[in-house]
Amino acid sequence: MEPKFNLHRPKISDDEINKNKDFDKLVKQFKQQSIQKAKSDVNFLKNKKITYATVIAGLAVVCTVTYFTVFNKQNKQTATNDKTNTLVSNKNKEAKSNGNFIAPPSKKLDVPYKTYKVNAQKGGELAHHTTPIAIGTKIKVPKAAFVNKEGKEIIGDVEIMYREFHDQADIIASGIPMTYDSAGTQYTFESAGMFDVKGYQNGEEVYLKQGKPITVELASRYTDDRYNQYYLDTVGHNWQVIKHDSPVISPEPAPPADGNSKQKNGKEIQLVKKIEHVPLQIDSVKTVYDKKIIALPQPKQPAKPAKATGRPQFNLEVDYKDYPELSAFKNSVFEVGTENKNYTKELHSITWSSAIISQGPQKGKNYILTLKYRNREEKLIVYPVLTGEDFEKASAVYEKKFIEYNVALDKREADEQKLKDQMDAKLLAYVEEQKKLSDELLKEQIRIRRAMEAQMEGETKNSTAAQNVSRIFTVNNFGIYNSDCPKSMPRGRVIEPRYASNSVPLDPSSVFLIDKGRNIVFNMSSNPYRFMYSEKSKYTLCIVAGGNVYFCDSNEFNRAVSDSKGKFNLAQLPDGSDMGEFKKALEI
Amino acid sequence: MNFNPRYHHTTNQLQEEQLIIEAAKQNPEHFGPIYDKYYKQIFGYVYQRMDCKDTAFDVTAQVFLKALTNLNRYEFKGVPFASWLFRIAHSEVMQLFRDQKNKRAINADVGDLKNIYEEVQEPFFEEYLPALQQLIKQLPEDDLQMIEMRFFEHRPFKEIAEVLEITENNAKVRMYRILERLKKTITNFKT
Repeated sequence: MEPKFNLHRPKISDDEINKNKDFDKLVKQFKQQSIQKAKSDVNFLKNKKITYATVIAGLAVVCTVTYFTVFNKQNKQTATNDKTNTLVSNKNKEAKSNGNFIAPPSKKLDVPYKTYKVNAQKGGELAHHTTPIAIGTKIKVPKAAFVNKEGKEIIGDVEIMYREFHDQADIIASGIPMTYDSAGTQYTFESAGMFDVKGYQNGEEVYLKQGKPITVELASRYTDDRYNQYYLDTVGHNWQVIKHDSPVISPEPAPPADGNSKQKNGKEIQLVKKIEHVPLQIDSVKTVYDKKIIALPQPKQPAKPAKATGRPQFNLEVDYKDYPELSAFKNSVFEVGTENKNYTKELHSITWSSAIISQGPQKGKNYILTLKYRNREEKLIVYPVLTGEDFEKASAVYEKKFIEYNVALDKREADEQKLKDQMDAKLLAYVEEQKKLSDELLKEQIRIRRAMEAQMEGETKNSTAAQNVSRIFTVNNFGIYNSDCPKSMPRGRVIEPRYASNSVPLDPSSVFLIDKGRNIVFNMSSNPYRFMYSEKSKYTLCIVAGGNVYFCDSNEFNRAVSDSKGKFNLAQLPDGSDMGEFKKALEI
Repeated sequence: MNFNPRYHHTTNQLQEEQLIIEAAKQNPEHFGPIYDKYYKQIFGYVYQRMDCKDTAFDVTAQVFLKALTNLNRYEFKGVPFASWLFRIAHSEVMQLFRDQKNKRAINADVGDLKNIYEEVQEPFFEEYLPALQQLIKQLPEDDLQMIEMRFFEHRPFKEIAEVLEITENNAKVRMYRILERLKKTITNFKT
């Protein structure tokens, strides 16, 4: 479709444009749109969930059929073969026994469950204490929160089985995989705490009713705000991110190391508020500047008188109020422009009933003269001109006015520049203030973090030290949840270790590299004889071989990595050791 | 030729604008100064290309809603935020015409058309106006947009380049080629 061409369309006034401006409406629309999008995303995920469930169910059927087919064949083969294949390495044996997704590396290590009873109809609040975290965990169970496998509501007491994992020893013992796949990249979790929760009634598993989540306020010794909450998907064999995890300071906090943590947080909040306020201040400076610029007087350029050229003329009486620019053209006549193709001398002989002038195509220079008589109408482009003395007088007036105009123009430009300089100075001050505040905030955040770390270090050393952070989980399904931060595998020097205990070589089924500076365990079991470690970090090492647990402290680790053969001399964890002794062995 | 002084920014102004945008990414309420600053310019751009005033106001509202919705995708490239808004506005306007809800319009003054003649170094006569209008109406959309921005909206090449995401030199070359083509036809008016 061909466009339409408009010449000289009337302009829309600023008032009319401003009337249609409605920022509040825009923000409202934006918020409504965001809510609708969130709703549609939820529906999309719901539909996806159903699709996934169908696909998973289908896959399960296919896998079961395949498994039984292969399994039967293998049994037949095993029966026909003799018992020559008895020399299977420890590694393979354990790999078979640990064929599950969650595979504790040794039966000698265990993080036991604690069992709590709760009345299904009444609900309740359970308190779980884990040394050395003083405040403990709260498990809040709402009324009528449980259903059986048929979906029927449970009546009577339910047993809640609960355990927590707070350090590297707990993580190793649990056998819970701590690797996280994010868009094809493998990470290892640095943990701020993890828990496993289940429900039973009379030995039968129970489930959480939809819309009745239980709340776990997990006590954590890690106060940083850099962790996310995850749920372990035992079907998909991966962790599912739930949300960002913000630690909640306990209403009864332990006294902080230097006694002014609260003040520091308050200061941080104040700084953030001040930084957020700067853009608004910048805007108000600009608004004031715009208003001042508009208020400055705008000098009008005087019209230059033109001398008559001898072209045909019309002598008209003009109201100078309507055309102030013509006031300098007293006694002016209107000369017909060369561009008027409709002009004829005959036009002068008619007594026109109406002669009106209006702005011409060249504003201030020419005019449109509309002549009317009965049904006839003629339009001519005319130019105001002067003759003889009138021109000389008008030129003199023009010269004077033009000088005045230039002076006024210079003044306006100077005033504009002055206002702009003032505004720039103010804006610069705000930008500098914002930078200063940001630097201050960063320093404050570093200071808070260091204070927290120092506090945590003190607390870790002293097992009786108090902890004051909870991590709040909304548990919709029983299972394993954590508050973690994905970290890359260590990079730096490659080591090809050999393992031995009392000079007896060991063939490990599991190898764990324990970072002393962070609550993280790197599982090197997939390639136990060649891996990387960072020379900047401090490590201890734990391996499992033949069902026994071996370890070395950080001094032995440093010695072994310097050893040309990479030989680790490991000590065996004595049989019957509990988790406390295991932690001590790992210097936790 | 005039140029659009509201578009041009000093380094400080660009930094300040960027600060506001970063704040608005966190909280849409901070988008206010940007809205106030560019509302008139965006309305002008939209209305320049259509006849219906009410539709132009609706499209302008839609442009800012889209900008706010996609603000997190906006990346500062060292040019005023307006260039991004103009691109959204162009896309919205074109969508409207594709849907055939509205007819494309071109708005100009005789003085603007005269400037085209000056640029191609041809004498201007009023009687050529209808033919020139017809010629402009038949230009491909991309060429029309260049003519519109340069001659009817009086934008400098730097601004045109930033809006179209091309180099300033490229904008000049494109304009030169369009004018060359126009000149050939304009010369035919006389014969």
